Amino acid sequence: MTLPAASQPADAYAQLKSEFGSMTAASFQGRMAEYVASGTPIVAGTDDFFPELFTAMEVPFYFVVRQGLELAFHVGKGPEAVDGYNELGGSSSLCSLQKAAAYLLMKGRLPKPSAIVMTSTSCDGQTAVNEMMANYAPWSDVPKMSFDASFEKDEASMEYLGKQWMRFIPLVEKATGRKFDLDRLKEVCEESNRQTRLLFDFQELRRAVPSPVRAEWGFLAYMAARWSGCGRPLATAWLQRLFDTTERRVRDGKGIDGVEEKIRYAWFDILPCWSDQLFPRLERELGAVNLMDLYGYSAPWPVIDTSTLETIFTSFAKRFLIGNPMTRQIFALSTVYGGDAVHIAKNFKCDAILMPSHVGHKDGAASHRVVHDLFREIGVPFLVVGCDVFDERYMTSDVVFNKIEAFFDTSGLRR
Amino acid sequence: MKSGLQSEVFEGFASAARSISNPELEKWKGGGGKVLGYTCSFVPEELIVAAGLMPFRIRGTGSLTAESANEYFEAANVCSFIRHTFDQVLQGRYDFLDGAVIGGGCDANRHIYDNWQKSPVKPQFLETIFFPHASGEPMALEFRGQLAGLKTKIEQHFGAEITDEKLRSAVRLCNETRSLQRDLYALRQSANPPITGGETVEVMVAGSSMPKERYNTMLRTLLEELRGATVPERKIGARIMIVGPGHDDTSMCDIVEELGGLVAADLTCFGGKVIFGSVQEEGPDPLQAIADYQVLARPFCPKNLGAHPHIQKELLDQVRALRVDGVIGQSFLCCNMWGGELYILHKELKEAGIPMLRLEREYVSGSSGQLQTRVQAFLETISGGGSC
Repeated sequence: MTLPAASQPADAYAQLKSEFGSMTAASFQGRMAEYVASGTPIVAGTDDFFPELFTAMEVPFYFVVRQGLELAFHVGKGPEAVDGYNELGGSSSLCSLQKAAAYLLMKGRLPKPSAIVMTSTSCDGQTAVNEMMANYAPWSDVPKMSFDASFEKDEASMEYLGKQWMRFIPLVEKATGRKFDLDRLKEVCEESNRQTRLLFDFQELRRAVPSPVRAEWGFLAYMAARWSGCGRPLATAWLQRLFDTTERRVRDGKGIDGVEEKIRYAWFDILPCWSDQLFPRLERELGAVNLMDLYGYSAPWPVIDTSTLETIFTSFAKRFLIGNPMTRQIFALSTVYGGDAVHIAKNFKCDAILMPSHVGHKDGAASHRVVHDLFREIGVPFLVVGCDVFDERYMTSDVVFNKIEAFFDTSGLRR
Repeated sequence: MKSGLQSEVFEGFASAARSISNPELEKWKGGGGKVLGYTCSFVPEELIVAAGLMPFRIRGTGSLTAESANEYFEAANVCSFIRHTFDQVLQGRYDFLDGAVIGGGCDANRHIYDNWQKSPVKPQFLETIFFPHASGEPMALEFRGQLAGLKTKIEQHFGAEITDEKLRSAVRLCNETRSLQRDLYALRQSANPPITGGETVEVMVAGSSMPKERYNTMLRTLLEELRGATVPERKIGARIMIVGPGHDDTSMCDIVEELGGLVAADLTCFGGKVIFGSVQEEGPDPLQAIADYQVLARPFCPKNLGAHPHIQKELLDQVRALRVDGVIGQSFLCCNMWGGELYILHKELKEAGIPMLRLEREYVSGSSGQLQTRVQAFLETISGGGSC
């Protein structure tokens, strides 16, 4: 049931954000300190492969590189961790998030897991961190499994990865003492399917002109569905409320409160840790609204086929390789990366696309010409920024603002 | 330091390594032979040889600036080996190729495929294969599937039938190359070897730049010459091992050896990593044998999850066998995989009491004064018994 616009609470999004905070606090990540204190077995992984499995087994899970955000950048200690990594003599080539995660690992600040799952992923830097973790002496007794994802995207390749991943279940059972229950996994997967459907439906609303919400809501929706509340009804209800609230705004033709939308653009990378210094200023001074980021973009997600354990794990492989942000774009030819950017530009009626070209994203840096040519074909202006989305010291938000402002001016978009 | 090597055969190898084209390649082309280029040492030359083609490993030799490639690969974020190599492609230096296979090793390497496709110099045959990034039987089977796909494409495009017998013959030929190259490496075990590290690099690079049969013949001749050579007495300082990605030039060896050291061993993509072991010559499925070799026998690329213990073991074995005094780990700036691997190795070698110098460098800066200073300090530290 949709409430009439008049009864929509003015602070509906503030309420949703508050609920998101509560959901995050109650998630595996939010309760990690509690698990460590109680000696609850934890699993660590090198990406977000199959969160549904951990929800179904109630096994706390954390993604190692993401700890660079949770335990460093999000608590104002990112630069310190990066500097600490450099002092340890780490390679200069890693992305600053990976540097922070590697530092936390080497300093013994990550919870010791009971099992580790690794899979070849989108980024060489990630592989480097995987290898550091796999060879970290204090964790030498932790059982680990490495899996290989095919570069191909056909059915056989998905089965190839899915079958490998299934071998992880007995290890999780043994390492954590938790029993695997197929029926429970099916329930969680069905819930997860509802969530990813809502992610896509919410995204469709975001195509409206003016944009009903900021890009950060796409990111928060992704986090709710894939991280803090994957397969949990609470998160589904939250996503439904987000959809309903946004649908009312679209129906009423409302844009972002207090913003006169003049320029529509997408930031085709991870939202920076210093977003608060950049995006509000772009809105305020230029009327430029960010519509999309890499994690807020749902491609859409493949549906999990819950017929059998095999079909579930094949679907997990599809989700990882075709749905998962970054993996989808980077574990692929440049045309997928460029194609998604073009899809966003066209479907969201973008006036311009900003490619932040985060210093760690070497794969994207090897695709710029391909992407540039695609944008030339459709006539949408395109800027390579060249910043570090985690560590602002590389290029300050003011400098990034100036680059974007000059780009909008020279492209004739400022009006 | 020079070995004093005077050999016409060696000069043939050296000229092949110092440029992209070479007389043996030109002779092959002149006789109507076709050449299939490839990047990354995991692309099996056996498959190319079995099709009657000459494999040529694409490299950046001769490049001074990567200006054209920088339009495709962002300079600040992509390693200079890839950019200089692709620049040579854009400059037309590889126009002699009848096709190319891009190996999906690292992220930047595999994008040579995308970018070459979009470039004005796209060859008629351009394919890519992706290597498993974990080692195990399912992965070897998966890689066999990819090789079978590539085999069909090569057969269709070049009108060549690649039979099992032709594959076995190619395996024997490439195994012979590896065996001869191992013999060459073994010569450096002596206290005063007849060939230096820099000279060895040139012989190795030539191995992927000319027809295999001809190369093997020349290498046999060189080995005979070296075994019979009277090596002048030299004062050799530290014996060094180099570890890292695909360095196709002699610059680091030259620095070490001009400072009185000797590069006694290496574990690099143009050197020690490509001569490890042999493909099984018997068995019902030569394609599977090739896949097993690449995936199970030599998982030395840090792109492979779980590669580190293999790299560490091979390195320590060689350090002991070849009486290595110190290790230089060199990687290119922006190389995530080797940057990470060398970090782990550095810690472990330090604990083992083996001096190691880590260097991140650009592809075209090999002889820079800064590198020379750091290597010199390292060699002096070794002599003084310390550790960098």
